[in-house]
Amino acid sequence: MNGWLHQLIRTRHGVLGLIILAPVALAVVLGPQLAPNDPNAISFLARFSSPSFHHWLGTDEFGRDLLSRILVGARESVGTALSATLLGTLSGAILGTASAYVGGRADEAIMRTIDAIMAIPALLLALLVLSTLGKGATDATLAIAISFAPGMARITRSVALAARHQDYVSAAIARGEGSGWIVFREMGPNVIAPVVVESTIRVAFAVMLVASLSFLGLGAQPPAPEWGLMIAEGREYLDQAPWMIIAPGAAIALTAIGFNLLGDGLRDALNPRVGR
Amino acid sequence: MSPVLSIENYRLEYRSSGTAFRALDDVSLTIGPGEVLGLVGESGSGKSSLAAAIMRLLPPNSREGGGTIRFQGEDLRAMGPRQLRSVRGRRIAMVFQDPSSALNPTLTLGRQVSEVLETHRGLTPPEARAEALAMLRHVEIKDPEALFARYPHEASGGEKQRVVIAAAFACHPELVLLDEPTTALDVLTGARILELVRRLRAQIGMAGLYISHDLALVSRVADRIAVIRGGRIVEEQPAATIFRNPRHPYTRLLAEAAPRPDRRLTTDEAGAEPLLGLDSLSVRYDRRGVFRRRAATGAENVSFTIREREVLGVIGESGSGKSSLARALAGLVRFEGTIRFTGRSVKGPGAMDRAYRRAVQIVFQSPDSSLNPRQRVREILARPLKMFGGNVAEIPRLLDEVRLAPNYAARYPHELSGGEKQRVAIARAFAARPRLVICDEITAALDVSMQASVIELLLALRAAHDTAYLFITHDLNLIAEVAHRVAVMYRGRLVDLLPVAQLREGDVHPYTGALIAASPLPVTA
Repeated sequence: MNGWLHQLIRTRHGVLGLIILAPVALAVVLGPQLAPNDPNAISFLARFSSPSFHHWLGTDEFGRDLLSRILVGARESVGTALSATLLGTLSGAILGTASAYVGGRADEAIMRTIDAIMAIPALLLALLVLSTLGKGATDATLAIAISFAPGMARITRSVALAARHQDYVSAAIARGEGSGWIVFREMGPNVIAPVVVESTIRVAFAVMLVASLSFLGLGAQPPAPEWGLMIAEGREYLDQAPWMIIAPGAAIALTAIGFNLLGDGLRDALNPRVGR
Repeated sequence: MSPVLSIENYRLEYRSSGTAFRALDDVSLTIGPGEVLGLVGESGSGKSSLAAAIMRLLPPNSREGGGTIRFQGEDLRAMGPRQLRSVRGRRIAMVFQDPSSALNPTLTLGRQVSEVLETHRGLTPPEARAEALAMLRHVEIKDPEALFARYPHEASGGEKQRVVIAAAFACHPELVLLDEPTTALDVLTGARILELVRRLRAQIGMAGLYISHDLALVSRVADRIAVIRGGRIVEEQPAATIFRNPRHPYTRLLAEAAPRPDRRLTTDEAGAEPLLGLDSLSVRYDRRGVFRRRAATGAENVSFTIREREVLGVIGESGSGKSSLARALAGLVRFEGTIRFTGRSVKGPGAMDRAYRRAVQIVFQSPDSSLNPRQRVREILARPLKMFGGNVAEIPRLLDEVRLAPNYAARYPHELSGGEKQRVAIARAFAARPRLVICDEITAALDVSMQASVIELLLALRAAHDTAYLFITHDLNLIAEVAHRVAVMYRGRLVDLLPVAQLREGDVHPYTGALIAASPLPVTA
């Protein structure tokens, strides 16, 4: 399995994605240690100061250092997006594989339900879920996961359906294996590649969804340094301190682009049929 | 007389990710007027690359390394796209292996023939239509008017291949390339197509290049045969003598490996005790539509008994129900009727207990899909061993039994050749120490030489373990070599069940008779 990493590095998209995501990953892991200031330290003397030597990205209306807030907030913004995607992908993939394996009426019922859910835009669905669950970071994660699961289930099912008709699955049924073994051990590993690709691209969406939800006041709550929330707070001071929006906005955009490129690279690396 | 096609010292390479693979190495061939040259080789030998080189349809990653391809004295390699268009289709025509992908699904069958006539012979649409109908009649289409308006998906494989042949022969080409034209068809249809090619050749008198993996088949249509291996022509001689005196060791191997009905590979008798019996077994596939239910029948009321250590051959064309039978016995599809096994009655897949599933094992046709690509050989073999009371320490012994080195345990399926994969699949079946192994066309996807060694392996395993086989194939000659009895399936029914020795004695179902007549016998006389 070392091969795919090698292949990834050989795709232009993949390399670019990795380069963009490296500082993001650093911020997620070491953000609080790297931050020059306390992200929540209020300083009335430094309110709305533009980017300078002391505050590289400027400060907000409470004089909080934006660079520090972005570095510390990476963990929440990107972490929430990652865990939401992981949760949504995993549940969607299992549902899709199982649906393809069982087939027949159950498959039909699951897929039609999923079609219905997929007709609702992800953000709207997330809002709907949040309005029942209440607001907060964990609930936002759950809401995004739920809105991602149907799409993942659909993609996984189509791959799993192809695997379902392979003779190795027939061989497993013929020797009397249980459904669990067949879904997880025989079919699972063979549907994983497209799922990984799709979920990487979806992280980009998730980053934006998390930001959107926070922006709308349904995700992270102040004074958390979440990027979307930072944009929401900076909105009022757009004309006097545009850096309050530009800094977190750029962080969100870069992360989204990075994951998108990485996903494209992975798609090429994991799929030998795509000519290089 | 000057040759129609002459190829001299032709070389071709494919490059992929930095490495070059030599597909054709110093190939020299000539085809005289009215002559059919057979080109015989196994998969990867370069025979299809040669056809692509002649048609100038080489993929972008190919590099030609010198040599000439002359057609009626003109260098095909030097021709520009415009000149090639005037040659392709009109003067050199091609018949492809798979008629369903060679025809455009959005055009009617008639249009695909008349279009060729309009483009290459400049006929007006009404003339082209009349000529196309005549051509369809010529290739023995029963109702050309009706077929003319049909689309490819509305025609059978045989009809489609006839249309492809009609389109190829429509412009009276000087050279026809036939790339395995019968391989994708079942035995009877293939035999009829072969007959048609022979007749057209006699009537039109064109030169031909007949490409195939099957030496016996080619020896029936070609005048001369060239044997290609690893991109090199290893031997060339008249078709009439190649079976009798193959000079190159590889040709000898091919001639030896071709199944021959006059040779027996199974020498002992079957046991007397019944092992497994079918009582009026039926398999039906429910096709659920929105408004109606259609039931397609896979197998209908099939009854027979397999004895201990017996090799029971099951033969029939595609759709005859032989695979449905295999899948029912392996517990993969629901069935009606009863399977009797060691004194018990099994009435459905749910009733198959571990003892039954251990005793009855199946090996599938396609070696590529029967092994999980994400599992190592070790894991593939360990699972049945664990399930059926074996020991994982037996893996080296299992591999040794199917003649693979112990280090194969650490490999993934994509690192194995087709024959090796099939050996692993056989090892997986034998890991359960079965009493009966269902072999569902297990050699159909393999090359002839590979097929011979897999058959030999199966028979050696049978001798060691006293296993019975349900041997499903479409190759009557192969059955005649290995089986004790043969069951003939036709449209889901069992039409004949008789000892192999009686096959050629004449007292058989008309369908069985047709199958016997269609089986290519090597030209040995």
